[in-house]
Amino acid sequence: MEDNPHPPKRRRFFAQSSPSPPPEPSDPILHSTPQREIHSYAPPNDPSSDTTPFQEPDDDVHPKEQTEEIIEEEEEESEALDVQALGLRLDAVMLESFVGEKLSADILKRLDDISGGDLQRAINMYLDGSWQAAKPPVARPSAKQSPFNSLFDPNGKRKSSTNILQESSAGTPASDEEAVQRLDKMPTERYLGSFGCEGWATRSGRGLLSHGEEVFIERQQPQLVQKTVRRGKGKAVTVVPQAASKRKDVVVRFTNSKGEEIGRLAHETATFVSTLLDQKICSFKALCVYVPDVLRTNETIFLQLKCYMLRQTFNPRAIRLTDSNRSTGLFEAKETEEEKALRLRQTSLVKLFNEINLFPTTAGQDSKAKRDGLLQVAEMADEKEKEDAAKGGATPVKDEEEPQEGKELEQDQLDQLYKKAQTFDFNSPEAEPAETFAMSLRRYQKQALHWMLNKERDKKNEDQEESMHPLWEEYTWPVKDENDKELPVVESQEKFYVNPYSGELSLKFPVQEQNCLGGILADEMGLGKTIEMLSLVHSNRNEPEAASASDSRTFNLPRLPKNSDTVEPAPYTTLVVAPMSLLSQWQTEAEAASKPGTLKTMIYYGADKSLDLRAQCSAANAHNAPNVIITSYGVVLSEFTQIANTASGARGTSGGLFSVQFFRIILDEAHNIKNRQSKTAKACYELDAVHRWVLTGTPIVNRLEDLFSLVRFLRVEPWSNFSFWRTFITVPFESKDFLRALDVVQTVLEPLVMRRTKDMKQPDGTPLVFLPPKTIILEEIELSKAERAVYDFIYTYVKQSFTQNMEAGSVMKSYTTIFAQILRLRQSCCHPTLVRKKLIVDDEVEAEAAEAETRGLTDNMDLQALIDKFTSQENEGEFNNYNAHVLQQIKEEAENECPICSDEPIEEMTVTACFHMACKKCLLSLIEYAKNKGEKARCFSCREPINEKELYEVVKHEKEDLGGLSAFKENVPEFSLRRLAANKSSAKIDALITNLKRLRREHPGMKSVVFSQFTSFISLIEPALARERIQFLRFDGGMSQQQRSVVLNKFKAHNGGMVLLISLKAGGVGLNLTEAKRVFMMDPWWSFAVESQAIDRIHRMGQTDEVIVHRFITKGTVEERMVHKIQERKKFIASSLGMMSAEEKRAQRIEDINDLLG
Amino acid sequence: MALPKRIIKETERLVAEPVPGIQAVPHEDNLRYFDVAIHGPTQSPYEGGVFKLELFLPEDYPMTPPKIRFLTKIYHPNIDRLANWSPALQIRTILLSIQALLGAPNPDDPLANDVAQRWKEDEPGAIATAREWTKTHATP
Repeated sequence: MEDNPHPPKRRRFFAQSSPSPPPEPSDPILHSTPQREIHSYAPPNDPSSDTTPFQEPDDDVHPKEQTEEIIEEEEEESEALDVQALGLRLDAVMLESFVGEKLSADILKRLDDISGGDLQRAINMYLDGSWQAAKPPVARPSAKQSPFNSLFDPNGKRKSSTNILQESSAGTPASDEEAVQRLDKMPTERYLGSFGCEGWATRSGRGLLSHGEEVFIERQQPQLVQKTVRRGKGKAVTVVPQAASKRKDVVVRFTNSKGEEIGRLAHETATFVSTLLDQKICSFKALCVYVPDVLRTNETIFLQLKCYMLRQTFNPRAIRLTDSNRSTGLFEAKETEEEKALRLRQTSLVKLFNEINLFPTTAGQDSKAKRDGLLQVAEMADEKEKEDAAKGGATPVKDEEEPQEGKELEQDQLDQLYKKAQTFDFNSPEAEPAETFAMSLRRYQKQALHWMLNKERDKKNEDQEESMHPLWEEYTWPVKDENDKELPVVESQEKFYVNPYSGELSLKFPVQEQNCLGGILADEMGLGKTIEMLSLVHSNRNEPEAASASDSRTFNLPRLPKNSDTVEPAPYTTLVVAPMSLLSQWQTEAEAASKPGTLKTMIYYGADKSLDLRAQCSAANAHNAPNVIITSYGVVLSEFTQIANTASGARGTSGGLFSVQFFRIILDEAHNIKNRQSKTAKACYELDAVHRWVLTGTPIVNRLEDLFSLVRFLRVEPWSNFSFWRTFITVPFESKDFLRALDVVQTVLEPLVMRRTKDMKQPDGTPLVFLPPKTIILEEIELSKAERAVYDFIYTYVKQSFTQNMEAGSVMKSYTTIFAQILRLRQSCCHPTLVRKKLIVDDEVEAEAAEAETRGLTDNMDLQALIDKFTSQENEGEFNNYNAHVLQQIKEEAENECPICSDEPIEEMTVTACFHMACKKCLLSLIEYAKNKGEKARCFSCREPINEKELYEVVKHEKEDLGGLSAFKENVPEFSLRRLAANKSSAKIDALITNLKRLRREHPGMKSVVFSQFTSFISLIEPALARERIQFLRFDGGMSQQQRSVVLNKFKAHNGGMVLLISLKAGGVGLNLTEAKRVFMMDPWWSFAVESQAIDRIHRMGQTDEVIVHRFITKGTVEERMVHKIQERKKFIASSLGMMSAEEKRAQRIEDINDLLG
Repeated sequence: MALPKRIIKETERLVAEPVPGIQAVPHEDNLRYFDVAIHGPTQSPYEGGVFKLELFLPEDYPMTPPKIRFLTKIYHPNIDRLANWSPALQIRTILLSIQALLGAPNPDDPLANDVAQRWKEDEPGAIATAREWTKTHATP
């Protein structure tokens, strides 16, 4: 190899595995190397030392101090010749000449000790006076000295002081004792490996460097180099000129053994070597492998670099990630210096390991892929930096938006994610709830309780082995050097650990720590999360007597010391934050789950929140403190805003939620905070508690960032730092490295999440939860002609407008308009008059805008005419003109079958003017059929002409109806007739009424729930139900908390049939409506998951009967496309729950609308 | 497409309470398609004959009448479209009216014009031909 002066490839031509190491440049350390030929050592001042390839390889050694001769010895330690009387590693003369004064022996000794023999350091310390403060570390007994030291000290001259640990003077907390001990055992530096690299000469001359000569790797850190050094006589001090550019300075120079600068490392190598040197991670020594005899500037020199890890790198205190969660500042700021340093550190380490061919012995995953990924992330960050620089910071918005634009997860990815979290061990231990808990738990619930108790008590499962922190990798120290010689063994330190994500290094086994005393309970809906949580509330609580010596510890550490007033501990109180609609349900369930008098609950809402929680919940008030306080996200937000708006931002002043530290916080339906930038989320982060829990059936709704917010709330380090999260999850994910991102997410999820699904099977094959069957019937409804006309009109209008916008590229701009129009279109499927309602009581956020945007549409005369046509028959009074005879006949024939469809009894019995009866729909279709054929419709029986306007519906007043609603208590006949036309509502309402009437007939007393997104539509359904004497209740977002609970209680308590009209948004989540057995979904939502969740209000644990769901879709309309196209597409993306941010919503909707209008 | 309740009910009833002299059996693979056999009414030229028909219930039955066709050759002036359909009529009623029509030919409302002509001009001859056709084509 050495015959070829220019190896084509510089890499690893002296790799450790090289079968025939070149003899010439053998390592100076290894005196026993047989090839070794030259043993003389030339004093550094001698410029003619061409023949001196070896030099003492001490760290940061300066040529000036190389005054000793290297003795030819086979045995390394055979000679311990102290040249200087004090046994100093420092060159006293040199030192004195720098500092310009004579130093006493004491001082010299001390400087030597604290500087670890580093001349430059000693000079600096002396000059800045820090040496006096620094305590000389205790030198460890030299007798038991690790043989490793000799590696750096071939002549054994400085045994006594080599293992002084400089940084131990900083002092280490007791908890880190073990780490320190471990650290102490480590030599100041330890050989890690070597690799070949290339350098360029920066000067020319003859005999500047020779084969096998030791080369010094230098790095100047502008800010660390003190002026005194440069000011010094400096003839031999290898201070390189200040690099020109501060930003991109990666220049690494090397000098020959005399300290003369020869050249610099090739850029590629220098980029990472410079960082490693700057950040004091490694030191490098090098040997010249090839150098031309006559060196010219810019000629290539081949070096073999040997890398030594510095002991201080492993000091756990040396590196700290930022632990401030600057959630708000983060997004505006560019990458901070600190973050940049971290990034450089990561990449440099990875590159180094790649160069020296060092691979982890244990790692969570394919380390190759991991490394590539890390490098890629770094490159991306670099790119971005450049980009940003190029743009001159003109796009501050971009940074702000970027984190939001996290990609949505595909279904298989989501599956993969959950898979891990769902590998639930059915044999995991169970825990019995406390005595005071009044309900019995199912097995899996007891297992959840056990898990939760462990989380809160921070106990590891005994049967579980300590597992390595998933982000870390284990490396084995090399046992042989680059020449295949045995390296000295460091006792009980065969391994070291690297976190390639943070660049942290450790000698200690990094245990996967559980530092959050809570977690995510993500059982699927209906498995009883609330009950599980309540069992925890009972089973792990502070008893007033044992006024918690253990807890006071935590309370003494208020996380956010705010001005004067402090946060009071509330050691007996659990705070439950839930959507408003669930407050009373939580209270009811909490009370039902507790033996009388064992649990004090309180709803903290509205007028009830005038209390000062600090007094109420304080430890002093132990016996009266509420055990469970239930509040809503809205209250948390409003108190948060209030505090934030006060000048001081002091938590305590309000005496509200933020003035106490709860024993436990439970966020119910925690996807409410999935957007970490929402105020609600930020408010929740600030709530203080010992234990933090989130409950949600969908920890990840549709992007990985959703999970971040939960983790952030739980304060799980280090993931709760968004920059960390972003680097290791968001960025890889967005750069299509899904596997890696998901892997990391899994490791985040695994210890935090308990999730079981309803369809899980127990080992014996029985399902986890038995639920009665659920049938979903998609009812496709034909719009009536008049409805169709209205719909078609709007559709054409909307489509035109959308196409124009598409062509003009202004879709996003006119988003509101388009969305409003689509909303109208969807409403027109429900009921044409919804379109022209001036006042819309609507949950839709955009309703108001919609109103404005479609005013033009509704003012349109054509449309007005169409709607008028539809409503022309409305508001006619009831027609009760039939004589008793007819009614009698009707009564007799009531049980007959319909002559047209053969159904019996006749459904919605309708009578013609000629007194012939049939089903309403049969009669209507008969008339319709004749019309289509251009014939005159005739009675099926007597062939008299008939028409729609002269049909009369028979209204039967069932006795049950007469009891409930006072309006109907007057003496009404058993039958009455009403002109059918007057009853004309809309196809959907008709279908609903038909179904409800059938239900009343077939299952009298059965309760049902009707969901619609449009409260205005609900308002139209109400009169239709009233007309049919169907009893109903209404539950919507406009109701107060109190009204809601009244309605829910009434619905549950009512004996007999009852219909509950619920707005999808107000009642889609959380409620428990198992009393009902039938569900009617009046209109489809963009994603079926939302509907499904609403359905699960009824079909959940506690449901005893089959549940039948009717979903009404109007045929040939956007609804059909919503269901068949959009819902199908999103089927598996977990629901959006209507809680997306405005931007997310928009982007997604535009796509949807495009699909809708086809 | 699911079979409407009405068709199911009608079929069940045709089986449960058959009309004398009429058999109507739905095809197994298409329940809207019936094989029908009508016995010639006594005292008519068709006495002793068994006339095969096919009956099909269209998609929008009972709004539209069933489609019926004689498979057996028959000499009759008005084996004709079923005028005046009403959805209240049924398979049973329609077959009964066919049977009745066999017993009382009505040459004034003809379909087969030549047959009607002959019936008017030479009733005994027409009846004889009808009888003969019955013997030739409709006797099992």
